[in-house]
Amino acid sequence: MNADDENRIKQLLKQTLPPVERNAEPERDLWPAVLRRLDADTAQRHTVPWFDWALLGGLAVFVISFPATIPVFLYYL
Amino acid sequence: MNNHPYLRAYLAGVLIPTLVFPVLITLLFVAMLVAPESIPVERIAIFPLAFAPACWGLWNVLWVALRKFSNVPLGLHGAILPFLLMPMATVLAKCLGVITLGAHSVTWFQAIEIPYALIACGFTFALVMYYLVWKYIIGFVNRVLGIA
Repeated sequence: MNADDENRIKQLLKQTLPPVERNAEPERDLWPAVLRRLDADTAQRHTVPWFDWALLGGLAVFVISFPATIPVFLYYL
Repeated sequence: MNNHPYLRAYLAGVLIPTLVFPVLITLLFVAMLVAPESIPVERIAIFPLAFAPACWGLWNVLWVALRKFSNVPLGLHGAILPFLLMPMATVLAKCLGVITLGAHSVTWFQAIEIPYALIACGFTFALVMYYLVWKYIIGFVNRVLGIA
């Protein structure tokens, strides 16, 4: 690649890519959208379905009813 | 955090058995002090110390590896593990003399006698326990380690 080719590429790049303005800012504030997304993600992760609570309750009732099974459960964990 | 995902999956998988083992061993030592007969703690410890963590870790590695091909939920994947782990643990426990198979019941650790009907029921709840532990605890650790 000679100097002419490099200059040609520079010209093409300058034509294609618009110059970045100094202190350019987005048209709107993006931070609230980021916060909304983080909140939605957190809420989704911490939502436990009702049937999982039911399963946990059933497991607790079983273990309380038969406490001798606790070491056996721990053995298999 | 995209480096070594299988190593991180293994470490996430071994967390629960590693945390549970000290609780189990403490209970066994307490039982050893109060039980009239000696409890073979060193033989009981072989499965939870040597096999269970490796199985959990490898099972989580398998989930990460299979995620490229299928979309099995982590809880369901974890609930399948007892079907492999429990027969293996029972055979090992039988060979090591940790359990004694009777006509109507099984005796664990030469101290805890559980009827077969209760074992069948307990296996169902073991599946529930595995489902919940894998879905919520292993899932959380996977997220923390950047796997999920």
